[in-house]
Amino acid sequence: MRPFKYTRATSLSSAVKELSGNAQSRILAGGTNLLDLMKEDVERPEELIDITHLPYSSVKSSSQGAAKPGVLLDALGKNAETANHPLIRSQYPMLSQAILAGASAQIRNMATNGGNLLQRTRCPYFYDVAMPCNKRTPGSGCGAMEGFNRMHAVFGWSDKCIAVHPSDMAVALAALDAKVLVQNPSGQQKRLTFDEFFRLPGDAPEKDNNLQHGDLITGIELPASNFADHSYYAKVRDRSSYAFALVSVAAGLQLNGKEIIDVRIAMGGVAHKPWRALTAEKMLKGKEATEANFKAAAKAEMAAAKPHEYNKFKIELGERAIALALTKALNYGS
Amino acid sequence: MEANPITGTPLNRIDGLLKVTGKAAYATDYPVKNLAYGYLFKSTVASGTITQIDDAAAKKAPGVITIITHLNAPKLNVKGGLRGGALLQGPEIKFNGQHIGIVVAETFEQARYAARLIKVQYSNDAQAKTDFEKLAPQAVPAKEPEVRRGDVDSAMAGAAVTVDQVYETPIEHHHPMEPHATIALWEGDKLTLYNSSQIVNGAQTAAAKTLNIAPENVRIISPYIGGGFGSKGGQWANLALAAVAAKMANRPVHLALSRQQMFNSVGLRQHNIQHLKLAATKEGKLLALGHQTTTHTAIDDEYTEPCGDCSKVLYAVPNALINYKVVPMNVIMPTYTRGPGKSTGSFALESAMDELAFKLQMDPIALRLNNEPAQDPTTGKPWSSRKLVECLKEGAKAFGWDKRNPQPGKNIQGDYLVGHGVACGSYPARQRDSSAVIKLTNDNGKVQAVVELAAADLGTGTYTILAQTAADGLGLPVAQVRIKIGDSDLPPAAGSVGSVGATSYANSVNDACSKITTELMMKSGKQFFVRPTAAQLMTSERLNTFETRMDTKPLADADNYSAHSFNANFAEVWVNRFTGMVKVKRFLAVTAAGKIINPKTARSQIIGGNVWGIGMAITEESVIDPRWGNFITRSFADYHVPVNLDVGNLDAIFINEDDKHANKLGVKGIGEVGIVGVAGAIANAIFNATGKRVRELPITPDKLI
Ligand SMILES: Cc1cc2nc3c(=O)[nH]c(=O)nc-3n(C[C@H](O)[C@H](O)[C@H](O)COP(=O)(O)OP(=O)(O)OC[C@H]3O[C@@H](n4cnc5c(N)ncnc54)[C@H](O)[C@@H]3O)c2cc1C
Ligand code: SF4
Repeated sequence: MRPFKYTRATSLSSAVKELSGNAQSRILAGGTNLLDLMKEDVERPEELIDITHLPYSSVKSSSQGAAKPGVLLDALGKNAETANHPLIRSQYPMLSQAILAGASAQIRNMATNGGNLLQRTRCPYFYDVAMPCNKRTPGSGCGAMEGFNRMHAVFGWSDKCIAVHPSDMAVALAALDAKVLVQNPSGQQKRLTFDEFFRLPGDAPEKDNNLQHGDLITGIELPASNFADHSYYAKVRDRSSYAFALVSVAAGLQLNGKEIIDVRIAMGGVAHKPWRALTAEKMLKGKEATEANFKAAAKAEMAAAKPHEYNKFKIELGERAIALALTKALNYGS
Repeated sequence: MEANPITGTPLNRIDGLLKVTGKAAYATDYPVKNLAYGYLFKSTVASGTITQIDDAAAKKAPGVITIITHLNAPKLNVKGGLRGGALLQGPEIKFNGQHIGIVVAETFEQARYAARLIKVQYSNDAQAKTDFEKLAPQAVPAKEPEVRRGDVDSAMAGAAVTVDQVYETPIEHHHPMEPHATIALWEGDKLTLYNSSQIVNGAQTAAAKTLNIAPENVRIISPYIGGGFGSKGGQWANLALAAVAAKMANRPVHLALSRQQMFNSVGLRQHNIQHLKLAATKEGKLLALGHQTTTHTAIDDEYTEPCGDCSKVLYAVPNALINYKVVPMNVIMPTYTRGPGKSTGSFALESAMDELAFKLQMDPIALRLNNEPAQDPTTGKPWSSRKLVECLKEGAKAFGWDKRNPQPGKNIQGDYLVGHGVACGSYPARQRDSSAVIKLTNDNGKVQAVVELAAADLGTGTYTILAQTAADGLGLPVAQVRIKIGDSDLPPAAGSVGSVGATSYANSVNDACSKITTELMMKSGKQFFVRPTAAQLMTSERLNTFETRMDTKPLADADNYSAHSFNANFAEVWVNRFTGMVKVKRFLAVTAAGKIINPKTARSQIIGGNVWGIGMAITEESVIDPRWGNFITRSFADYHVPVNLDVGNLDAIFINEDDKHANKLGVKGIGEVGIVGVAGAIANAIFNATGKRVRELPITPDKLI
């Protein structure tokens, strides 16, 4: 680990100020990703700004003027506490399931909601500084493109990077149309949709998302949910826990009898960001909630997938996972 | 022997309290004063020559004491017995991850930081051999001896039923909890190495020879080991390099490998391609068995896992050809890895047997019972003891085998396909020379014993079983026996490798107990109708101290017998119909391994082996990127050992076995056999569940959808 300066922020605004004052600084939240990457020499910050003790760790109901209240997750809320919070368990079960499907109990106790969104890819070439990686060292090439790319993207990748975003939590948040609350150095508060927040690698894979240096995530806003009765998070992985998703799917259904009024499907393990399965969603809206329709929609969604040498299986696995998550969502609670 | 012997009882580990309270000192826990820290840096190419090392920035980094590379390292004996080369003796690079230098600094973090400032240039002067799939066709016959009897191909041609398939197992790593770690301390010419060593005396001689110093000047201290699984049997370059670093820094040096460095520093289980041929009559009598293993080894040294070992002994078969082909590669030297050859070989053999049973429409247990050999089919020697039939029969009963549906894919439970599989295994039972000293003291009628030998306890229970053996042998309660092991100053002992530890140590301790008792009887000059215990004699003869040393060798006629532990493994798997994820719901290992000194530590050994076998079957794989020859899986985030949720109920049964020929105590060893047959049983259960025969481990979800 390279020598670095440690600064303990006294308030959110002091954290933002300190952060924007040093281009080589990073926020330290749970540290479960950042510190690992520092030990691997991948992240080399000159300064860590510790925000862990700041009082932004609650999960609370937020009306935001809407008829039905949503929920506000503070950035420093712990993954474990968020997943187990009664509001989340009752109103957003797929989020609770997604968080609990990630990492291990110990890591979830440390990991924060803000840090979770900003965790970096687990692409092994990114982690090994002896390897080429455009995300770590722009212009050095992509080790995974012609390499061992079993875990990599099948949607939205570019010829510069085929990495996937590793978060489970973010997949459920994407399905729920959550918004990311950001405070920027000039003191402004932004509310970014997931589409505005995350990005595809394109020509700049070094950027995981659209935050600017100096931006601080203060919270995540969940709109009122219509999917509490029918939602599910399915995660397929190489072992039963403590492994990143080969493919995961967060699915929510809003039903009128058998008719699908609204549907949300987001996928993990397939793209540089949580992937909303918009083709499948569109196909299903207004249709009957049947396994046959689920399967057809899943097939249509995965038809656009472009796999690599070692991840061709993700197409069939993706189809199965979408159909499974929808079926489980349909039968949720019964 | 006591009326109620303590051997054979499930005594808790006598070192358990020390361990759970953190008081057991592992290699780098010793409070050595003035300690400096080493950090190894490694090549990032697989083959070539170092042309330049720029360490100017590193030298100036905070805390740096010295930087050692091939340019300033002392001359070492590369044939001194350390495995894998990488001793900083020249600029040649033989594999990616070869040690190319050490930074010694005041702290570990400083050493690591400085190491990362070093820039190394290479000339890539050779075509690196890193792609096993491509190189396999160039493999040549290996040194591992072949077994040939009759003619397999003619038997195959004429047989009613045959199986001819290829099975593949990936590179795996040992990954003990405690990475390899050493503190090296020089006091004049004397070198002390606090080091995690499965073979204490072996580490001593290899270090001494490599460093070109006398063995009596090297002391290995290794009382506790955080696992090894073979990777701490033969020692590796890091042991000698710790001593070199300490010499050059003129300070004691702490040198520990990081988890990432464990992938290319201390060996591996090699990638095997196994071609199995089975021929049988329609009644299920085996006619032929072919087992050819193709594998890789280091570029300049040969080790091949003996994948055909189980095929040599498990079944009666008139025609057999068991042989090996190997190709050198620019990849670290492979080495003994738990159940070397047997664990991977039995996967291939026992999968093929299952395929044969299915073709014959025969119960897989019946097929095995049908081919039970009266003597060792390869050597013709009689068995020292063999209870494989009992393992199968008792296991079938305990497991509920009769409820298995022989038709695959038929047992559906909700989201899951349920299947049951069986597979057998074996592991040679051997005894090695071992000495032991017993020191008795008598403090006002309280007799106590100290038992000393340079044995190793990997965390498996050596302390405990030796205390039990000595307690019975001397007539003392266990609490009055102290076991001192893990120090090369103690009488030389076998290693805790190849399942020879318990057998060799327990026999030598038992012999030492008999010897000291006899010596005490003679000293008393009295005649006894009932043989007294050493403890009684110390009291009756009013002796304050008495000691003896015993040097035990294997039985003179042990070689006339074929001695093995045998097992039968039963797996129940639940395969998710939608995702292909596998859970091993139940696993039962039935083992016949001679005398079981402690059923509790023995059970732990077996179920520990089972867990690794489950990993072998469904999760573990190390992947090399042939473009650079580096491991792409380089931490526990991507090298998947099984987690609790993958592993359901584990159960171990031991079959009573009184072996009169393998060794005096009839102990056969259980360290390795627990992993043998496990992957086969699981793969067979997965076939029974899904109808899919996966011949390539690990069986991950993508292979089952
Ligand atoms: C072995 C292992 C397995 C794992 N498995 C999974 C898994 O299966 N699924 C899964 O989803 N996750 C998994 N994780 C990842 C884990 O969820 C993340 O490490 C964790 O969520 C990160 O949160 P943190 O608070 O520790 O972030 P940190 O490590 O503290 O920060 C991560 C990044 O975010 C920045 N940051 C943090 N908070 C803020 C903020 N408020 N504003 C601006 N920037 C900020 C930091 O500067 C840093 O760059 C695993 C991790 C490990 C180590
Ligand atoms: S996929 Fe992205 S992260 Fe991985 S090596 Fe390529 S550029 Fe780097």
